[in-house]
Amino acid sequence: MALLNATIQQQVREALAGMERPVKLLMFTQGANGVVECAFCAETRALLEEVAALSDKLALEVRDFVADAPLAELHRIDKIPAVAVLGDGPQPKDYGIRLYGIPSGYEFGTLIEDILMVSRGEAELQPQTMDALKRLDAPVHIQVFVTPTCPYCPRAVLLAHKLALASDWITADMVEATEFPHLANKYEVYGVPRTVINETIHIEGAVPEATLVAQLMAARDKPMAQR
Amino acid sequence: MDLEFALEAQDRQDVGGDRQYDVVVIGGGPAGATAALYAARANLKTLVIDKGLTAGALGLTAKIANYPGVPGEISGAELVARMRRQAESFGATFVQAKVQAVDLEGEVKTIYTNEATYTARAVVIATGAMGRGQRVPGEDRLLGRGVSYCATCDAAFFQGQEVAVVGNDDEAVEEALFLTKFARRVHFVSPTPDVKASQHLREALAQHPAVVLHAGAALREVLGRDRVEAIRIAPRGQPEQVVPVSGAFIYLQGNKPITDFLQGQLPTSETGCLVVDREFRTALPGVFAVGDVLCNHVKQAVVAAAEGAIAAMVAEKELRGRKQLAVDWAK
Ligand SMILES: Cc1cc2nc3c(=O)[nH]c(=O)nc-3n(C[C@H](O)[C@H](O)[C@H](O)COP(=O)(O)OP(=O)(O)OC[C@H]3O[C@@H](n4cnc5c(N)ncnc54)[C@H](O)[C@@H]3O)c2cc1C
Repeated sequence: MALLNATIQQQVREALAGMERPVKLLMFTQGANGVVECAFCAETRALLEEVAALSDKLALEVRDFVADAPLAELHRIDKIPAVAVLGDGPQPKDYGIRLYGIPSGYEFGTLIEDILMVSRGEAELQPQTMDALKRLDAPVHIQVFVTPTCPYCPRAVLLAHKLALASDWITADMVEATEFPHLANKYEVYGVPRTVINETIHIEGAVPEATLVAQLMAARDKPMAQR
Repeated sequence: MDLEFALEAQDRQDVGGDRQYDVVVIGGGPAGATAALYAARANLKTLVIDKGLTAGALGLTAKIANYPGVPGEISGAELVARMRRQAESFGATFVQAKVQAVDLEGEVKTIYTNEATYTARAVVIATGAMGRGQRVPGEDRLLGRGVSYCATCDAAFFQGQEVAVVGNDDEAVEEALFLTKFARRVHFVSPTPDVKASQHLREALAQHPAVVLHAGAALREVLGRDRVEAIRIAPRGQPEQVVPVSGAFIYLQGNKPITDFLQGQLPTSETGCLVVDREFRTALPGVFAVGDVLCNHVKQAVVAAAEGAIAAMVAEKELRGRKQLAVDWAK
């Protein structure tokens, strides 16, 4: 059974019609024989297949987290289901945009926005933000914890993803908290969205761009914990 | 987990297309509805975002008899509804949604709601003064550690646990019922002896086996070291009580200007109201504020409406790059 009904398919098709450059979704899932337990891997894969079929500018590559471990490591992907939204075509590029857990509910819109953004190759951030990002000189890891029923969450995720697109130093993950309870525990997530920058800075709620960037620049001065 | 995939209620700033307005009015009480009426009549593409007809001061007033031109008694909700219809008749659009956040700097302003994202060249803030004032002790400290303002977002973290919902309107009851799908027990703490929500919601709440109702009880404190461990409540005429819970979901109203969605982007007075000049401009270009959200010494529907009219005319002047106000009766 299709996950997306005809109406949604049509909406997504129309949205993706605005794509400029080609985009590739690189998905990591469990092996055929289920070596690693993964609650929503099959559904995530089915969803991405349906979405990828809606635009000829959108490609999907599905890899096995165990068998293709070197590739996963190259992209620094450490859990599944994982989706990296990559620039494709003659000059492919990994911007560091990641979605961990199935992009369902409100986060489905985030996936589509991510695709469009990467396709544009333009983050549309404030000029002050772009200036600040130029001062980065070390890796920054942003994790945004979400649930699919959280209307405020896509804004926090998209902002983090925009920053990842704009700066090669930044990797930004959406993490669906209920699928990764050990991480929700580790980072003491009891409310979403919760943004964790470099393991050291925790931000509650969806904050404006300027606030997040200020925190991000502050994180720069704190040591980066082990990923 | 139910899997749902919809683009409808999403943040789709660039996808939908038709989410760009000349003027977005936040709040559709007398101040906002009148601003919309004037803006729309001046042929500006105008949107009003309001979270509910009966959520504002006028909307929940049972009877009003002193609004000029409307003799006799009329319910506040009916008066607001008439103002909105009049604004719509000039082309204004109304949507029901709660504004969560805004980006007001720059020429194009962005308005984020729980339904969609809109952009505007001018924004009129008319959210009134039914906002919650002081937080109770422990609330700020434990935010994100069990204190939450969004059960639909955070319920999943309280699987099989005991939680409290504090409030008495539709939103509070709906969130409490949503929580019953996850939590083992939901303590519903209503500050008033009767829950003010619509009847079907009140009934659903009263009949739910997992809900314990604490009617007429004030929330005094949220307790806990690193996480919420309990709430302290004061039921009317009874000694205070400590209810052990791991989550406290708070939906209270009050009498403070509603400015939380601004996240500090505009200066407020000591009493928390927005500060404007004579023509209702705030410190940011293209952003206006009118009605009870200001420190008005007279809080009356007719005053709020008049302010809305002035702000809309000033906004129109600025958007069209004119030096003088256009007289509305000139057309
Ligand atoms: C009990 C009572 C009786 C009154 N009686 C009278 C009277 O007899 N005569 C008289 O002239 N005045 C009376 N007033 C005062 C009058 O109601 C107010 O001065 C007037 O309503 C203020 O208008 P406003 O548009 O600024 O705010 P409101 O009427 O409060 O409207 C604000 C609107 O903003 C919306 N809103 C708030 N936050 C958000 C958000 N985040 N997102 C989207 N929408 C939002 C609300 O839903 C609401 O509709 C009375 C007030 C009260 C409380």
